[in-house]
Amino acid sequence: MTEVAKALRDKTAVCGVGLLLGNYPDRTALSLAVDAYQLALDDAGLKREDVDGIIQLSFGYDYDRFLEAVGTDVRYAYQGWSHGRFVAPMLQHAAMAVATGMARAVAIVHGRRRRPYGQTADHEMWRQGLGPHGESPAYGALGPVFGAAIAAQRYFHMYGGSNEDLAPIAMAFRRHARLNPVAVRRSPMSKEDYLNSRWIIEPLRLFDCCQNNDGGACLIITSAERARDCRKPPVYISGMQGVHAGRQFHNLTLPGLGVAQQEVYKYRPTKEDLHAYEMAGITHQDVDALITYDAFSPLVLFGLERFGFCGPGEAREFVKDGRIEIGGELPVNTSGGLLSEGHVIGWNLFIEAVRQLRHECGERQVRDAEIVQYGSFLGETVIFRR
Amino acid sequence: MEPSFKMLDERSGRYLPFIYPEEIPFWEAAKQRQIRLQRCSSCGRAWYPIGPACPFCFSMKFEWVAMSGRGTLHNYVVFHKAWTPWFEKRVPYAVVQVELEEGPRLTTNLLDCPIGDIRIGMQVEAAYEDVTDEITLVQFRPAKR
Repeated sequence: MTEVAKALRDKTAVCGVGLLLGNYPDRTALSLAVDAYQLALDDAGLKREDVDGIIQLSFGYDYDRFLEAVGTDVRYAYQGWSHGRFVAPMLQHAAMAVATGMARAVAIVHGRRRRPYGQTADHEMWRQGLGPHGESPAYGALGPVFGAAIAAQRYFHMYGGSNEDLAPIAMAFRRHARLNPVAVRRSPMSKEDYLNSRWIIEPLRLFDCCQNNDGGACLIITSAERARDCRKPPVYISGMQGVHAGRQFHNLTLPGLGVAQQEVYKYRPTKEDLHAYEMAGITHQDVDALITYDAFSPLVLFGLERFGFCGPGEAREFVKDGRIEIGGELPVNTSGGLLSEGHVIGWNLFIEAVRQLRHECGERQVRDAEIVQYGSFLGETVIFRR
Repeated sequence: MEPSFKMLDERSGRYLPFIYPEEIPFWEAAKQRQIRLQRCSSCGRAWYPIGPACPFCFSMKFEWVAMSGRGTLHNYVVFHKAWTPWFEKRVPYAVVQVELEEGPRLTTNLLDCPIGDIRIGMQVEAAYEDVTDEITLVQFRPAKR
């Protein structure tokens, strides 16, 4: 580990969050983002003059239009590609900008409509050499869910099991969502309900897929020192590591599953694969709750195995018997996740991590939560501490 | 053959592949009932997706060579949701990934095979489907014994 990594542990913090989630038929993406920004400023007890950095993933309006709209000038602006895997890196950039003095406080803002106004159709699937989730439209290989379906099929082929093994994940997150007043999907889900939900792409059913909804989100990152003067208790950023990418890291897949051009082998994380734990000075056993990107249920299996919570092929047993539920061995996605709380590109997952560590989650609070990890199948992670 | 960036065939309503300039030898070969991929002149390996350099040794010297057309079914999924009206008449349909004898894996469909008979590990061979006057898709079918 580098000296800088050691020095940065717990030196930056999340000081304010704002979230809107649901149906806002008459609101634009911009107006949802502005609303979330106001909520986060209020949550932190900050004024917009205190914010001098902005980061966002583009969704129909760009960072400069947002800044015009909120009447703020910043000295650090950055914008990335709107995919869930880039949510953690955005937060990491914010922490690094604050740590290096490029900004005093960075607001990460997001606004999105389920059905965008006036946007052209999505051309991503036609990219040179297959789409970002392996799509190939001429062959009917369509949609992000395709990437998750081919990964799940390979997982079941290598380790045994079938679609039914995903039911405990969907059901656990639905139980969590029922304790979350803002969750989009809150009706009870029995195993029968799960098995009766229609196939989307076999081996995945409707309830293995998140839904789209309107939403806005904002997180404000500042120095640990400044965060202690804010309205709410700071949530420190203890450790982090980036999105792993390349031929062995196909999107929506764990390394080793043989998706696309990946090699086939049983993945076990190496020391280097777990840099964030070293930076935070913890092991996975210190994690009180795991928050993982769950646009599709198999991704939860991959997230658990990526960080060594389970050995190769063992996650499908681990998720059973309430182990990933609140009160279980390792509560996962305590808000209901993207599967049941809603999809705000993953920002809502980070906001849940913050709220758990502030102990403001009411009925779904993980008791005495001290360390919450956001960590996903591509290896990107942020470890938070209260 | 020219590059093509049409998403949809107006006559059939079927999605079309984009044909990027560097991919033209692949599509011209498909029309002639052959799979041609790039093979590295330095390390001898073939690769896919099509690209300007060998991902194994990073040499930019390559030649387009014919593959045997034989492969193994490496993975498959079954679409039940129809994304467009063209697919409504075709669901459920399978999308498969075939590992060619030469190594690269292609995302395609399996012709002449009921969904229930698809097995990972089955032997397959190249088949071809003309989708417009210009464009032929490389497809596969179960290998003849």
